[in-house]
Amino acid sequence: MASVNVEKLVKKYGDLEVLHSIDLDVEDGQFVVLLGPSGCGKSTLLRTIAGLESSTSGDISIGERNVNGMHPKDRNIAMVFQNYALYAHMKVRDNMAFSMHLNKTPAARIEERVNWAASILSLEPYLDRYPKELSGGQRQRVAMGRAIVRNPDVFLFDEPLSNLDAKLRVQMRTEIKELHKRLKTTTVYVTHDQIEAMTMADVVVIMRDGHIEQMGSPMEIYDNPANLFVAEFIGSPGMNLLAGKIVEDSGKMICRVGELDLPLPEQMNISAGQDVLYGIRPEHLIPSETGVKATINVVEPTGPETHLFCHMSGHDVCAVSRERMNWKADEVILVEPTLEYVHLFDAQTKEAIKRKT
Amino acid sequence: MESSRFSVFARYVLAIAIVLMFVFPIAWFALTSIKPISAIFDKDGVVVFDFVPTYENYQVTLFGQQSIDVSENSRSDFGTSGGNSYDGRSSIVSSLIVAIGSTFLATTIGLLAAYGLSRLQFRGSQGMLHWILSQRFLPPIAIIIPMVFIFRDLGLRDTHLGLIIAHTLINVPIAVLLLKSFIDDIPRDIDEAAMIDGATRLQVFWKVIMPMAKGGMAATAVLCFIFSWTEFLLSLFLTNSIRTIPVKITTFVTSTGSEWGYISALGTSAIIPGFIFILLVQNHLVRGLTMGAIKD
Ligand SMILES: Nc1ncnc2c1ncn2[C@@H]1O[C@H](COP(=O)(O)OP(=O)(O)O)[C@@H](O)[C@H]1O
Ligand SMILES: [Mg+2]
Repeated sequence: MASVNVEKLVKKYGDLEVLHSIDLDVEDGQFVVLLGPSGCGKSTLLRTIAGLESSTSGDISIGERNVNGMHPKDRNIAMVFQNYALYAHMKVRDNMAFSMHLNKTPAARIEERVNWAASILSLEPYLDRYPKELSGGQRQRVAMGRAIVRNPDVFLFDEPLSNLDAKLRVQMRTEIKELHKRLKTTTVYVTHDQIEAMTMADVVVIMRDGHIEQMGSPMEIYDNPANLFVAEFIGSPGMNLLAGKIVEDSGKMICRVGELDLPLPEQMNISAGQDVLYGIRPEHLIPSETGVKATINVVEPTGPETHLFCHMSGHDVCAVSRERMNWKADEVILVEPTLEYVHLFDAQTKEAIKRKT
Repeated sequence: MESSRFSVFARYVLAIAIVLMFVFPIAWFALTSIKPISAIFDKDGVVVFDFVPTYENYQVTLFGQQSIDVSENSRSDFGTSGGNSYDGRSSIVSSLIVAIGSTFLATTIGLLAAYGLSRLQFRGSQGMLHWILSQRFLPPIAIIIPMVFIFRDLGLRDTHLGLIIAHTLINVPIAVLLLKSFIDDIPRDIDEAAMIDGATRLQVFWKVIMPMAKGGMAATAVLCFIFSWTEFLLSLFLTNSIRTIPVKITTFVTSTGSEWGYISALGTSAIIPGFIFILLVQNHLVRGLTMGAIKD
């Protein structure tokens, strides 16, 4: 097991720079998820760590070893690919044993490791089948088995679940998490699915256009998005964002959005006249006795909670309630933002406005 | 209902007609090979089945009997050099050597080139592909004269090796193109997975790519074999004493007449090795060997 340290990593394809000076530290045993929209450079970062792509400049070390320029096979890493990348001409057993055959592990040891991995992944009945005789979920497990048999320093996953159907994805998510709990192998996991990131990660790394936008535990990122991009990217339904202006009203700062006056928490680092974006997550915009007027547009019950898509003075917002009220479309209700969860973003820089400390 | 039954019927009729069209010449040829000369050349009409079969033609072409010994209607041997010139055995051996040799070479070279072109990015790899293909634009007849001189100067003329090389040269472009399409179908992720598993490039090629491209190799080998087995022009110009079957058969057309019986006997026999070869590789001819490696 080992930590992974990436320092000032730059990757260019010709003149196109796709990673701009990335710094990333993954501690020994951590489960780090790289999250970002498609094309932001997640796979490139992962593949550079794996040694499948060369870096243009910067340093990568795994454990205490600097691995710049080292062949993937010498890095003692294992990788699971989105499309499984199994060896179609080999049985499941041989797929898993391939790396050990290559490094001439004794047959008895291979047998032992393969059986161990198969038992962890419930693949024992399938060891003598070919990949084409397996379902998608089983193939993905074989790919994971191939990774774990070798006891690598680091696991790298590149969107391993995106080819699976929704139900299987949830199940495999749990399995991967359990596997990590059991093996405690340092893991870097790439996904564009924020739910996957939130549920699995110790640390989420949010990327955009070859930059890291924010790094932190899932709840840290959820509660304190560093900027508008992170705020919008995390959470479903997404955070409500309303463009407004800070106004001083009888000694208190409020945010004026159209003809609405939205309350602000104390101690914000703002001044009157500032253009801001007022952000509030749907579950913190709750129907109540007091608050701001909103007209219900669509009611979406999800079971545990009900999503109310409303018009609020020309803006579309979403409010969430855990209570079972018999709301109807076109009904006018009052919604109340929970003050401590109000986010403000500077309209120019799109950075989060911090509270005074 | 009526029309659909009719269209099914029409389809069958058409299919049978097309099959007959292809099978008839071969069947007629095979039939001719067991006809006595009197049945081949009957001045009163076409003999179809009304003859006493003879194996004389096979005995001469495949077992080396002097045509004079088995023939009751004593053929004349004018215009041919000795009775054994109808013996096709050495030409079958030559054809096999050349076809197997050039098929092996073309498939091997093609596979290596195709892997390189498919996986390694280098300047002009696309141009190289077009250049390889362009080698087939030129009809062999256009280059036959310089080729004869070059082969003579290299001491390759009238050797099996020379002919193997010539046929390989013709087959390599097709082999490269065909195999590249098969290797392109194997996702790169699989190479990368193998490299992470600890394989060198060579091991990736040998242990992963090659087994997965087996179907493509079989298809390529069949095409190369058939080409070499039936090739006439290069064989004719590049050899004197070594004669492949197609060239050998033309020597049965002599100044005193065409020996249709021998031509058809050797011709019919020549179908068999190709047939056996295809039977041997047909299990691998199925595409989709990558199936199961990835999400379909
Ligand atoms: N081999 C390549 N050549 C040129 N550009 C590439 C190559 N691979 C990836 N890119 C570019 O790099 C960027 C990041 O790609 P990638 O890391 O695959 O994104 P992600 O995995 O986050 O979707 C994309 O804009 C993509 O077009
Ligand atoms: Mg990707």
